[in-house]
Amino acid sequence: MVIEVIERQTRKWQMVVDVDKCTGCQACVIACQVENNVALNSDEIFRQRRATEWIRIERYWEGEFPNVKARFLPVLCQQCGNAPCEPVCPVFATYHNDQGLNVQVYNRCVGTRYCQNNCPYHVRFFNFWEPVWPESLRNHLNPDVTVRSRGVMEKCTFCVQRIRRGELDADREGRQLKDGDIQPACAQACPTDALVFGDISDSNSRVSGFAENKRKFHLREELGTDTNVIYLAKVDAEAKDRSHA
Amino acid sequence: MTITRRNFLKWSGIGALGTVVFAGCGIPEEELLVQSPATMPEDMVTGLEAWYATSCAQCNNGEGIIVRIIEGRAIKIEGNPDHPVSKGKTSVRSQAGLQVLYNPDRLTGPMKRTGNRGLGEFEPITWDEALAEVLPKLTGTKSVAMITDPVSGSLGRVIKEFVDRNGTRHMALESMEQTVLTRTVRDMFGQEVMPVFDISNADYVLNFGADFLSTWLSPVQYSRAYGEFRQGHGHRGTLVHIEPRMSMTAANADKWHYVTPGTEGLVALSIAYVLVKDFAQDIDQETLSLMTGGGGVSALASYAPESTVDATGLTPEVIENIAHELTKSEHSLVIGGGAAAAHINGLFNMRAIYSLNLLLGNIGKKGGIRFNPEPADFGIDKRDAVATFQDWKTLRDDLSSGKTDTLLIHGANPAYTLESINFTDGAKNAKTIISFSSFLDESSALADIILPDHTYLESWGDHDPDPGPGYQTVTFQQPVVFPFNQDVGRGTRSFGDVLLDLDSKLGNSPSYSNMKEAVRARATKLYDQNRGSVQSGNFEAFWISVLQRGGWWDEKSSGPNEGPTKPITSAEMAAEYDVPNTTAEYPFHLIPFESNSITDGRGANQPWLQAAPDPLSTATWETWVEINAKKADELGIKEGDEVEIASSTGFINALAYPNPASSPEVLSVPTGLGHKHYGNFEIGPDMFRSLVGKGRGSNVMAIINPVQDKDTGALAWSDTKVNIKKTGKWIRLPKFEGVVPPQYEEGLFPIVKPEH
Repeated sequence: MVIEVIERQTRKWQMVVDVDKCTGCQACVIACQVENNVALNSDEIFRQRRATEWIRIERYWEGEFPNVKARFLPVLCQQCGNAPCEPVCPVFATYHNDQGLNVQVYNRCVGTRYCQNNCPYHVRFFNFWEPVWPESLRNHLNPDVTVRSRGVMEKCTFCVQRIRRGELDADREGRQLKDGDIQPACAQACPTDALVFGDISDSNSRVSGFAENKRKFHLREELGTDTNVIYLAKVDAEAKDRSHA
Repeated sequence: MTITRRNFLKWSGIGALGTVVFAGCGIPEEELLVQSPATMPEDMVTGLEAWYATSCAQCNNGEGIIVRIIEGRAIKIEGNPDHPVSKGKTSVRSQAGLQVLYNPDRLTGPMKRTGNRGLGEFEPITWDEALAEVLPKLTGTKSVAMITDPVSGSLGRVIKEFVDRNGTRHMALESMEQTVLTRTVRDMFGQEVMPVFDISNADYVLNFGADFLSTWLSPVQYSRAYGEFRQGHGHRGTLVHIEPRMSMTAANADKWHYVTPGTEGLVALSIAYVLVKDFAQDIDQETLSLMTGGGGVSALASYAPESTVDATGLTPEVIENIAHELTKSEHSLVIGGGAAAAHINGLFNMRAIYSLNLLLGNIGKKGGIRFNPEPADFGIDKRDAVATFQDWKTLRDDLSSGKTDTLLIHGANPAYTLESINFTDGAKNAKTIISFSSFLDESSALADIILPDHTYLESWGDHDPDPGPGYQTVTFQQPVVFPFNQDVGRGTRSFGDVLLDLDSKLGNSPSYSNMKEAVRARATKLYDQNRGSVQSGNFEAFWISVLQRGGWWDEKSSGPNEGPTKPITSAEMAAEYDVPNTTAEYPFHLIPFESNSITDGRGANQPWLQAAPDPLSTATWETWVEINAKKADELGIKEGDEVEIASSTGFINALAYPNPASSPEVLSVPTGLGHKHYGNFEIGPDMFRSLVGKGRGSNVMAIINPVQDKDTGALAWSDTKVNIKKTGKWIRLPKFEGVVPPQYEEGLFPIVKPEH
């Protein structure tokens, strides 16, 4: 038998977040915590304002009753092309890979928290405590993902374990990845399909289809972080004039 | 040069010098962007994963899920991409299902009560001992009532057989009662099952109180439709929401209108008045004459927007605008439910609201209301056995008087849900209570014997989603892992299996010996039909395929195109309309709302769901009360103040959450907490561990006044008036807001205007 070796294509992963579809339902938030072995956020952890949510929903109030609106904004690691968290790490625990991902190497991290301090999106989280689960709940831990110990930083990885598994599966089957083969846990769960993940270098991918969208914006674009998470603005006939968008 | 691990270690050897070099001379940018050798090696072999399709039981709508299994352990739950209800999507609740399966609080086998009823003191016994205890208790009883959650499919059939044969009364407990909606659909449209609300294809949706993006009926189905409604088509749909509270659905609407609680029906009739007056040529004439008795617009004159504004708070301009938009839209849809139905006027409100669909001719139309077919062969509709609040009061009295002496409880927690009518006090008089709960909750704590059920990920079943997707759908449920508790002689057993076992031990001959057989019998029925998504010449191949796909559905089947047209009549309108009023003693309307994560309380033992922030308040882990920010200022209440909320039925404590979206006349409180027994285990870092469910927060349903809808006897759970006062304690509200600074300053959130 001759095994044909398929050379992998270069990938650049991006996510599109359609804010107009987001309902704030929190399915992505919990899907992420399930997939990535995020430590349980107890009430005291919330009270200390140290809750870990790799993806979170920010809720904005506008106006006052009765003319009041609530807005929802999902925020996750923006996987910056020009990431403020990377150059400040004294031990190269955070680096940039060739697929556009901003990667955290847990066993290098010494917990200086410089990256957290320098991240304008506040998507990096510090493990203040050794994560503990009741014995029986340890059964649902994902074996593909490291449990981070006390003293290291962690953050959204675009579910890199799913990317790697998808690539290996495609290699084994002797084919290239198709658009949609890989979905991070948040995008897979999202019941309104507000989150779309894919390869921006593939011109036929769903994410590429949003490249020219008129509603497109980046979070804190003025910082020049060259983010790989693209937002599509909320639509509202009652929108007031704004400096953004 | 590349930075490899070896290089790096060499530099580390240089020590402080290395850092100085880094900071001082500046490293060329490309060196900081180099690939790490820490990526996984190309020749790595990943652990094998298997995915099994089954059904989600967290929300009781037969959503198809797939579960990722590695080495016999369930690792992740996702939506079944083939399944017509979930189409690969999940809710926050489905995601947390693994914490039901692996919950530390699960009962590991049968339990026998040792202490007094309700104390929750039990000793472990074996199944043989337990069944030997149970059997004599089931013979020679006066009257047996079986309390379950609404069940469909084969379990529904097994229960039905059992209760019919043994003269047992079956009562299904719906915690946020939907009886009024069920009755409306039956009376007005002649349908036994919920219709399809075709949100995805609608242009203009007018919604009265149905929180369909969060917990109402089939949220995953509706959320998917909502995504398409927003950005799936060439143009964006408009959602207008009328509700006394800003719910999650209201927050996502293009316009939310506050309405005085309980007056939703008046608003609907005002809209009807404008439709008849200004757009007579656009509306259905048959409906019009039925509604007005041939009297035309004058029959509705008392509902002119100018006349209802004082009661409802919605101005004539708003009403006229809505009526105008409804007629202008090619595909309009009116939905009603939730708080709008949970009033003393509930049925009136719902009939008025759904009459708008008849007037607008939305029945059977794309983007309107389409009817679902009845469940496929051998199916049971889960709403068949649903009991009304009136029935529950009667049961409580029967228990107190000894008329009913035996209770079998599965999947429901009446002692918690019916706290407002002290169900527990009635139940304490029962001679025998047998619980089939997997956990010790308020109801199983009353039991004499607990025969713990498997969780849904360990057992067989099938379900008829209601509302379905517009065609016959059966979700199949199979064990995706071996039962977690398998102690010799003890362990858990499937409720259906135990029921069948008991039935045959009582001397009967049930149709099946276990649930798997019952499910296979259903599959045989579907196999014989030779239609739908799975067809085969061989039953075993059919069976395997149905389990692999997670179910069977027939896209070609459909419900009736139209039903009888029975709008609200002038006679009904002539009846007295009680507008719920607050009083000096109880100046606020209490709007309880079903928590987005822990729902009616069943999620309270799952740390993921407790920690999932509420969409609006971002609060977690506690019972909070939403109060208008200005009103709170007036009353000197700030966030985290513990307050006492009292109705004429009782009082609860909650933490204040002032916000700008609450009406000054309303207090709203989420359901689901205040458990005395449920969720009895600790989590958290070692220095501060806390109980997950037990003793946390308050049960808002405990202070609901036992008011009922006049026509159906359903609980009017939105019709309670309360007052509020500080207890003097302050406790920091655990919430996500404030954990990190927001991305946008006030007023800078990016929004664009729709294109026309």
